[in-house]
Amino acid sequence: MSASSLSFWDLLLWCVVLAITLGTIILLVLLISLTISQNTIPSKCRPRGSPIHLLVVLGSGGHTAEMLYMLERMKFDPQIYTYRTYLVSSGDNFSADKAKEFEAQHVQNSQGHVHSNNYTIVTVPRARRVHQSYLTAPFSTLQCFWACLNVLRGLHPDQKLPKEYSSLYPDLILTNGPATALCVVAGAKLIRFFLYLAKYTVLCLGLQKTSTFASAPKLRAIYIESWARVSSLSTSGVLLLPLADRFLVQWPAQAGRRAWWGMKRTQYAGWLVI
Amino acid sequence: MKLCFVTVGATASFHKLLEQVLSSEFLEILAKRHYTHLLIQYGKDGQQIFQNFIDSGQPHHGLTLGGFDFQPSIDAQMMMTVEREVVHQERGLIICHAGSGTVLAGLRLGVPLIVVPNPDLADNHQQELADELEEGNYVISSSVKDLGSAISRAETQKSEVLSIRTGTTTLAESMSDELSFLD
Repeated sequence: MSASSLSFWDLLLWCVVLAITLGTIILLVLLISLTISQNTIPSKCRPRGSPIHLLVVLGSGGHTAEMLYMLERMKFDPQIYTYRTYLVSSGDNFSADKAKEFEAQHVQNSQGHVHSNNYTIVTVPRARRVHQSYLTAPFSTLQCFWACLNVLRGLHPDQKLPKEYSSLYPDLILTNGPATALCVVAGAKLIRFFLYLAKYTVLCLGLQKTSTFASAPKLRAIYIESWARVSSLSTSGVLLLPLADRFLVQWPAQAGRRAWWGMKRTQYAGWLVI
Repeated sequence: MKLCFVTVGATASFHKLLEQVLSSEFLEILAKRHYTHLLIQYGKDGQQIFQNFIDSGQPHHGLTLGGFDFQPSIDAQMMMTVEREVVHQERGLIICHAGSGTVLAGLRLGVPLIVVPNPDLADNHQQELADELEEGNYVISSSVKDLGSAISRAETQKSEVLSIRTGTTTLAESMSDELSFLD
């Protein structure tokens, strides 16, 4: 009797130890890969003038307005960013309309003629709807994450990337929050992690030479913190601090922040919205 | 025409600001400063306060009052505070909650702005923004009850071109860097 109850507690103890060890290993791998990823500077190997696919995440009302205003103010050049994908949340007609307006007014005009095949607007389900219960929120977030992964891999039904683009992955991601941005940037990191693993597996097995992989970086993410955030980061900002490849802030007090020791710091870019 | 345009924002109600602006005392202050029109975007549940004031028969001190609940864009109304001699439009004033969209639009137009943070909002980073902008002389930050004295401060604010804050990098530069172009 006492022997059997002891073995039960033994089993439980071993399970707990195993779970803690596994959890620690996963956490360590996560922390180390995020640190390596943020500190790796890609080699300059992209020829100027090559087609660039830009993914712009349009959060919602104020986020969308700020994002498009920033693009307008930087004198967005469609000769460089030759293909644009705008990602909006389902039901957010405001953002979709604003993206169309932006394309019509600022992008198409500067080329002198109208092209409708060099940009697309894709819709993903919302991570969490307003007033949605926190019980069901994890499921809708997963649904959103899956949809974002598909957009990143170019598998969304509305995406028709022209043939001259060597890869379906966008080259650059631009975002200023909120929730959907987290799904997009986390998804981009996940894909890059697997691409990295695949590359090294192939290299170690000696199946291909290194030179085959001298391709330009993909799925790089820039996060811009809202102008309204003077001295503290927003929730999406805090969560994206270790994930984004570059984190721009618009107030001096926000500059120099980092997720943890050894990580990249936020950069003060001045006012990008005026 | 010299317009004072008041906007409370579309998302949260701001009855305290509406009640302050819709008072005979406040209209008198505006009249003394030669304002001719007061236009109020009172939000989705502010119509009653506006209507009550009109019905109360309190003196308007010669001002023409107008109000509306919500419009997708208030750019046209904000433009009416910009000085334009051709249409006899004097430099007016915008009084707004500290929502970044409205403040940004006002700053871009270069008109005097009085920012009134809504004290009822839970996450009050609006106050921080208002304080910081006042420190840089971009806006006048005021509480609801000090609005009268804020007007004289806003009037004396010089009309100068907004000095844009530049940082250590730009968006275009950051984007180009991330793409790792060959030199």
